[in-house]
Amino acid sequence: MTVSNQLTSDATSSRFGSTEQGRMVIDIRGLGKRFGAVAALQDVSFDVQRGEFIAIMGPSGSGKTTLLNILSLLDRPTEGDYHLDGIAVASLTEREQTVIRREKIGLVFQQFHLIPYLSALENVMLAQHYHSVADREEALEALEHVGLAQRRDHLPSQLSGGEQQRVCIARALINAPALILADEPTGNLDADNEGLVMGLLERLRDEGRTIVLVTHNPDLGERTDRIVRLQHGRLAS
Amino acid sequence: MADANPGRRRSDRSLRLRMFSMLVFRSLTVRGSRIGIALGAILVGAAVVSALTSLYFDISIKMSEELRAFGANVIVTPRSAGQTGGEGTHGIAAETLRAAIGALPQGKIVGASPFLYGVVRLDVANAVLAGVDFQGLRAISPYWQVEGSWVTADFDDRNVMVGRRIAQTMQMKIGSPVTIINRDRTHQVQVRVKGIVDTGGAEDDQVFVNLPLAQRLLDRPDQADLAMLSVIARGGEADALAADLARRFPDIEVRPIRKVSQADGKILDKIEGLMALVATVVLIITILCVNATLTAMVAARTPQIGLQKAIGAGNGSIVAQFMAETTVICVVAVALGLGVGFALAQVLGQAVFGAWVTFRPVVVPLTFGLSFAAALIAAVLPVRGAVRIVPARVLKGE
Repeated sequence: MTVSNQLTSDATSSRFGSTEQGRMVIDIRGLGKRFGAVAALQDVSFDVQRGEFIAIMGPSGSGKTTLLNILSLLDRPTEGDYHLDGIAVASLTEREQTVIRREKIGLVFQQFHLIPYLSALENVMLAQHYHSVADREEALEALEHVGLAQRRDHLPSQLSGGEQQRVCIARALINAPALILADEPTGNLDADNEGLVMGLLERLRDEGRTIVLVTHNPDLGERTDRIVRLQHGRLAS
Repeated sequence: MADANPGRRRSDRSLRLRMFSMLVFRSLTVRGSRIGIALGAILVGAAVVSALTSLYFDISIKMSEELRAFGANVIVTPRSAGQTGGEGTHGIAAETLRAAIGALPQGKIVGASPFLYGVVRLDVANAVLAGVDFQGLRAISPYWQVEGSWVTADFDDRNVMVGRRIAQTMQMKIGSPVTIINRDRTHQVQVRVKGIVDTGGAEDDQVFVNLPLAQRLLDRPDQADLAMLSVIARGGEADALAADLARRFPDIEVRPIRKVSQADGKILDKIEGLMALVATVVLIITILCVNATLTAMVAARTPQIGLQKAIGAGNGSIVAQFMAETTVICVVAVALGLGVGFALAQVLGQAVFGAWVTFRPVVVPLTFGLSFAAALIAAVLPVRGAVRIVPARVLKGE
């Protein structure tokens, strides 16, 4: 089955809900990544069930970012298998991985990464645009979902850090991805906004979305369903 | 949350186009200074290309008109006539000459005059009489130095022009009476000298009268020996015109006067070559300037391009956005450049040729084509750089 066929057959996917194709969203086996002689990841195997909210934790240099880049199809493993929502994605071409990423993955970044000259609403619509067609009403619904409908016409520079991160979450949600990958989403936020964003992620989990949170904050890790710990590029027991 | 309708969303091209246009517009307006530099560079390039192509298409005519000051560049003689002039030689029917001259393309002919030659007696000495069309002669002989004035009316058979040496030999002055007698002494006319001609050539020994008077004096009604034409045509064109006339009028032979025609062509070729060189150099400078600006723009936008790729933009989307932005800049710059270029062409036309340059529609697509080509060449490397951006690196701030 080709990537496009697999995506087309994913007809049961709901707008902001999970797919019903299978229970397993992430299934990685023996994953490894080498940068020359340096092994950033070695023999990493785990899975994430649909609707699960897991945290990937570990100290700096443990391979969290490398693993996240591979999970988000922004990088390739040098060893092992990676199945995303039932599709073997590690061996796909760059073009195919781009298609999978926009169809299946919603990304939330530590530094928000919003386009500075687009309003909050337009930033959300941008993800729709690359996925299919920008729809103002749907984008507005996504902003309402994160409590920012009233700030839709504000530029990122006119929003607080917490608000920018909520726009980023709305953008990640807009195409109903099978997986939301959040990389230190509260890393640049104060305590109040950290609580707000984590509450939002928990609500999304309660709605049935699959979320992988990368963090080195143990308090945040404790609020997830399960923690995957990395140590020197390997899963810690 | 509303349920998705993938069919509806995917089919809505106008919404996609609207979002794409908004992205391009916002991206352009937010980078005013850099866009201004790229726009300025393309504008200058388009203006120079527009000005030089305007001149290029106009210059052949303008320069040929200027070069017509060198005199006639085409000669018409009877077919297989070994010599011209002299009573008894066979000439061309003046009507045939008029028809041949009339057959030349409108606007190509600067002037033309038939010539009928014969030997006559002037009071005390013999001289060569030349029957001409004075208006045509004046047009094809702008370099003649004339003391007094030209005979202007075609029907004026009381005034003549004489060569400088004859005037000196016979001590003629402006207004002097002259009696012209034909060889058989069967005709004679009393005329006055209206102008004394100094060309430094054979004309200085000739007497110029209107063609009908010469035909009567030489007893060769409706005849001429040859015609001299000044035609706006470069070397190759003069040959083509001559061949065309010779084909249509079998009784005559038409020859470009090589030295003049080829000189016309060589001078024009050199000027056009110089203009092409200047245009090429300016376009290369434009390419370098636009390339540097676009490269800087890509560098400044690296995080955004990385983000766009991370959230699903394919390489095609990135390329399309950059090409659309470049196209918008190019369209605005070329539209302005065409106006500036036309004004520049007027300045150059006035400075070099003392004439206004005519607007030629072909300049518009040519300027657009060359400017677009330059902008696209300039955009190749920056766009390639944008496509090669690795999201994982730039989103982490590497």
